[in-house]
Amino acid sequence: MASLSNYLRTNRKKSALSQEEVAFLLGGIGESKGSKISRYESCSREPTLSAALAYEVIYGKPVRELFAGLYQQVEQNVAERAKLLSYRKRILHSKRHDFLTNIVSKTTA
Amino acid sequence: MKTDKTQFRIAAVSLSTYGFGYAVIEDGALVEYRNKVFLADKSANSLTHIKKLIVRFQPTALVLHDVNAKGTYRAPRIKELHRKVVALAKRRKLKAVKISGTELRKTLLGNSKGTKQEMAESLAQQFPDDLASRIPTKRRAWTSENARMDIFDAVGLLVVASATLTR
Repeated sequence: MASLSNYLRTNRKKSALSQEEVAFLLGGIGESKGSKISRYESCSREPTLSAALAYEVIYGKPVRELFAGLYQQVEQNVAERAKLLSYRKRILHSKRHDFLTNIVSKTTA
Repeated sequence: MKTDKTQFRIAAVSLSTYGFGYAVIEDGALVEYRNKVFLADKSANSLTHIKKLIVRFQPTALVLHDVNAKGTYRAPRIKELHRKVVALAKRRKLKAVKISGTELRKTLLGNSKGTKQEMAESLAQQFPDDLASRIPTKRRAWTSENARMDIFDAVGLLVVASATLTR
């Protein structure tokens, strides 16, 4: 079973912060700061890299745990591309081949 | 909350006269809990939100109160909505688990005579980070139940169901 796309709301509730407070910590500007956080939490909008890193700082958890579902999806896509790359190039260089096999095996494990 | 594959995710919905409360548990950890209050068109709005909930969380099972259990009285509207939610779960190929109030009290409190307030307090001890700050004040005889109690009902259902489903 795949993880949820993100666990931002779970972590925010655990830390007892409001959406406005998280928006302030992320450095939101403007009146509707809380609504941006709501969109991040409901997966209708993906945060920027700096916002994702700020989330890691706020909740003290790595980005890949906070965005577990998204991470799994990205991991799977990269593994598929690695498989394709190793097939296309017929890589003979053992180090490179090992590297790509490692990426593929990470997701199948 | 791990990056490796989740083992199980169960959602519970507690229907009430205000709207409904829901909670989602994933590998023993509470990931979401909330209550929805509707002022009009309660059944239709509740059903729409429950549909969204299923799409968003994609649980393996949906836990509900057993409204037809012996000694249980629920309003006709709630019973009708309950039927619709069970049908919805069936359509989505979800396992609909029904738990009676007696079973809930027996599992959570050890007796069938406990109150909702006592159940809420016991659940708050089990999930202090999430629920301790949300316990409603004790209801007086002349006041209505706090809408937030729906959250505790849903979490209670989850705790009982997850124990039986993961066995």
